[in-house]
Amino acid sequence: MSSRVEILNDGGYRSDGRKQYELRDITIDLTPRGSADGSATITHGLTEVLVEVFGPREAKVRSQTMHDRALINVEVSLLPFSASERRKRSRGDKRVLELAAAIKSTFEPVVQTSIYPRSEIDIFVHVLQQDGGLLQAGINATTLALITAGIPMIDFVCAVTGGVYSTSPLLDLTTLEENDTPNVTVAIMPRTKKVTLVSMETRLHVDRFGDVFKLACEAGAVLHQEMKVAVESRTRKLVGAMETGPSIAIPGAERGDRDVYMEDNMNDDF
Amino acid sequence: MISFASFPTQTQNYGITKHHPDVQDDVNMDIVFDEEDLSSKRLTCPGEVLTSSQTFMRGHGTYVVDEEVISSVAGTIEKVNKLISVRAVRTRYNPEVGDLIVGRIAEVQPKRWKVDANSRQDAVLMLSSVNLPGGVQRRKLESDELQMRTFFEEGDLLVAEVQAFFADGAMSIHTRSLKYGKLRNGQLVVVPPVLIRRLKSHFVTLPCGVDLILGLNGYIWVSKHVKDNEQEGEEGFDAEAVYSNRNDAIDDATRSAIARVSNIIRTLATYFVPLTDAVLLEAYEWCVEQEGGVADVLQQDVGEALVAALNAPR
Amino acid sequence: MMASISKSEKAYIQASLLSSNPLRADGRGLHDYRTVSLETGVAPLANGSARVNFGKAVDEGGGGTEVLAATKLEIEDVKPGEGEEGGRIVCTVTCSPAAYPQLSSNALDELQYDYTTILHQTLSHPSLHPTDLGIIPYKKSWLLNVDLVVLSDAGNIYDALFMSARAALWDTKVPVTRAVQYVPPQSDGARGKTDTEDTMEVEGVGSSSLDTRHMPTASDFELSDYWDEGAPLSGREKWPVCVTLNIHSTAYFLDATLLEEASIPLKLLVVYTFTSPTSSSIQALRLVGPGELQLPQIEKLLQESEPFARQLHTALNTKLKDEDIRRNQKARDRFALRS
Repeated sequence: MSSRVEILNDGGYRSDGRKQYELRDITIDLTPRGSADGSATITHGLTEVLVEVFGPREAKVRSQTMHDRALINVEVSLLPFSASERRKRSRGDKRVLELAAAIKSTFEPVVQTSIYPRSEIDIFVHVLQQDGGLLQAGINATTLALITAGIPMIDFVCAVTGGVYSTSPLLDLTTLEENDTPNVTVAIMPRTKKVTLVSMETRLHVDRFGDVFKLACEAGAVLHQEMKVAVESRTRKLVGAMETGPSIAIPGAERGDRDVYMEDNMNDDF
Repeated sequence: MISFASFPTQTQNYGITKHHPDVQDDVNMDIVFDEEDLSSKRLTCPGEVLTSSQTFMRGHGTYVVDEEVISSVAGTIEKVNKLISVRAVRTRYNPEVGDLIVGRIAEVQPKRWKVDANSRQDAVLMLSSVNLPGGVQRRKLESDELQMRTFFEEGDLLVAEVQAFFADGAMSIHTRSLKYGKLRNGQLVVVPPVLIRRLKSHFVTLPCGVDLILGLNGYIWVSKHVKDNEQEGEEGFDAEAVYSNRNDAIDDATRSAIARVSNIIRTLATYFVPLTDAVLLEAYEWCVEQEGGVADVLQQDVGEALVAALNAPR
Repeated sequence: MMASISKSEKAYIQASLLSSNPLRADGRGLHDYRTVSLETGVAPLANGSARVNFGKAVDEGGGGTEVLAATKLEIEDVKPGEGEEGGRIVCTVTCSPAAYPQLSSNALDELQYDYTTILHQTLSHPSLHPTDLGIIPYKKSWLLNVDLVVLSDAGNIYDALFMSARAALWDTKVPVTRAVQYVPPQSDGARGKTDTEDTMEVEGVGSSSLDTRHMPTASDFELSDYWDEGAPLSGREKWPVCVTLNIHSTAYFLDATLLEEASIPLKLLVVYTFTSPTSSSIQALRLVGPGELQLPQIEKLLQESEPFARQLHTALNTKLKDEDIRRNQKARDRFALRS
């Protein structure tokens, strides 16, 4: 499909008014949902993805369990009204399975599954709205949901899509841009700058690949900041709430001095 | 009969100034790498370098790469002597030997029960780890194996103690104490396990005639108070009573107290307030003072007022 | 779905229901609903949408029965096996595996099918059919897809499904279309494209000279205003509400939690439509569960359920109107911000 809209105009602006390297607005919601152990909703512009994580828990199908690590199970559902054309995809749909497989292989080396032999970690990805960057949003939301579920991971995983229009690299593509440009999704672990996923379904000249790849890695670091701030503010809020309560229970604990208080609390624990 | 509310609006304003990536690094430098005073930085998240592995030993929630101890979960940093660990702010139950838990039978297998205890795997309760009718010390009979469901069947709730761990990390539990066993006369409330602290006793009796069992796995049993001398004694160990599914007669006042305590627990969990006997007692008194209905505390304004009252300095 | 429950828990719940002063596990009376959170316009790419949650706890609580519903209009040709004259409604329910973590995917499919059947049969009934789903008579019509997604189930799923469907349908806007046709140049002028209204009376256009019947001749249509979302779907007052009566011997109660549902043998679903303050009609009726009822009991239950359904209907209407106002205000604020 080719559109009449200019991907990048002479002024250096894209169809939605962004500059070449500009990312879309991000919102992150980490409040719990349903009975999930961890959940996160992330929006990149108009793309919105909700991920719910269950586990580690007793495996549903015992024959699939592994004696030395936890099984990661990813299921993706694209809601029928998430795109401009209604389309109901069954669980066996090829695109849905591809997305699930990509997310699973991204997180298998990152989640410390060896701590939980014979258990199962279920990751349910719901795509609420699609406007490009599904894999990117799915991975970022999964990272956040796993963290809120308290599942140990060696690092965040931050994903960004990059594309090339003519010779100019673009970041964080919308559906319109994805359809018209060769594009690649890159997921990095910010601490080590290691790449856990590169996914490309289109052809791209090898000379251009390096530029986009490098830019996407840098953008990953920016996303990491955003995600970290969200995680930290939630952690701070919950820890803060937990500290106010037990001051009634532990006589003699000084509320003013936090460190002293923390020590007391730990003595109480053991 | 019915009332409507709106979903909370998403206002994600973190209250933090955003910087250009290049500048941001410098800003982080100032905050993060303050090795001198590690204790001042109490919160962390996955992938953050905590300290050198030469000076500290790694504990839960951390891993070591290139002589650096790195956090693997988001939560609070805890140091005990040379051991550094990170406690996740919200997670499934991590069992330790000696913990008191409340669980639900998930499956009956040969010579053992599988018990859901909100942990990474179902706990295992061996037939040999329960008190059998006809005397605590008697030998296990083959007939016992055939009638395991008369002791515990699927769905049954029980209170037990963590006894040991299997090689794969699954916990083995036992009910070989008169305080442990099948639960009756009440209802279950589930909260995040992190909100249950280790206390001197996890059997709490509130003056309103309500008994609480605070399972460390986040399952709380709220029931009618049973007087100690009414509990089945060592001599009169009576299988009928211990493994009975029948509730005692419970009057309306007790039911209402049970419902009220359950609602208080739910509300406090909503605001992430850790649950101890003292907190619960005070919360109950506060609610009775308010003279509201049993369900009032579930409303947002009442819940907030309760938490504010608990946090008020005395 | 059956939650895992012990015999003593079941007995405790049943005894509470039958006591002289019935009180439920969370302090509710027999006929009280949990707090219902409702929001419309949650899916920008849909023609109408809503999110409903029964019993969501504030802040860190989560929980509750949550359903997302959205309507989407598609254009269909009117011909056998496809579109119908006057449009049609297709209802589909999808269950997230997160809502039923213990179910296998086959069991989940069966459950979805079950929910879909009752929703579709009720909402696509001719008595509820909106009048504005036709586009060009005998040629084109709207297909109204109602998609519901169960995100979590903490009991009373049927009431939540019907309520979210009603809210999404209430919120639905149908694009205003205008039929157009080609008229060969005539003596009085050379107009190519004309509005249907003007040319309806022209004879002989596009039909055989042997055909003496008056045939509507418009063959295409245009959107009358591209920027406008459209007009609200007609008959929005008519969309039904469901009240589930959970029956335990002589007592019954509303809005059951999962444990309560597991403790009772029988549920009676009654789906009502209210066309005026005085009249109502039952659109659907269904018994779920292994228990049984005598005929006089059903009559009594139906009689007693009507006022509950009416209260539910009235409260829901008020909330939906509030939502309309809220969203208009929000749109205006955003516009003010831009300019």
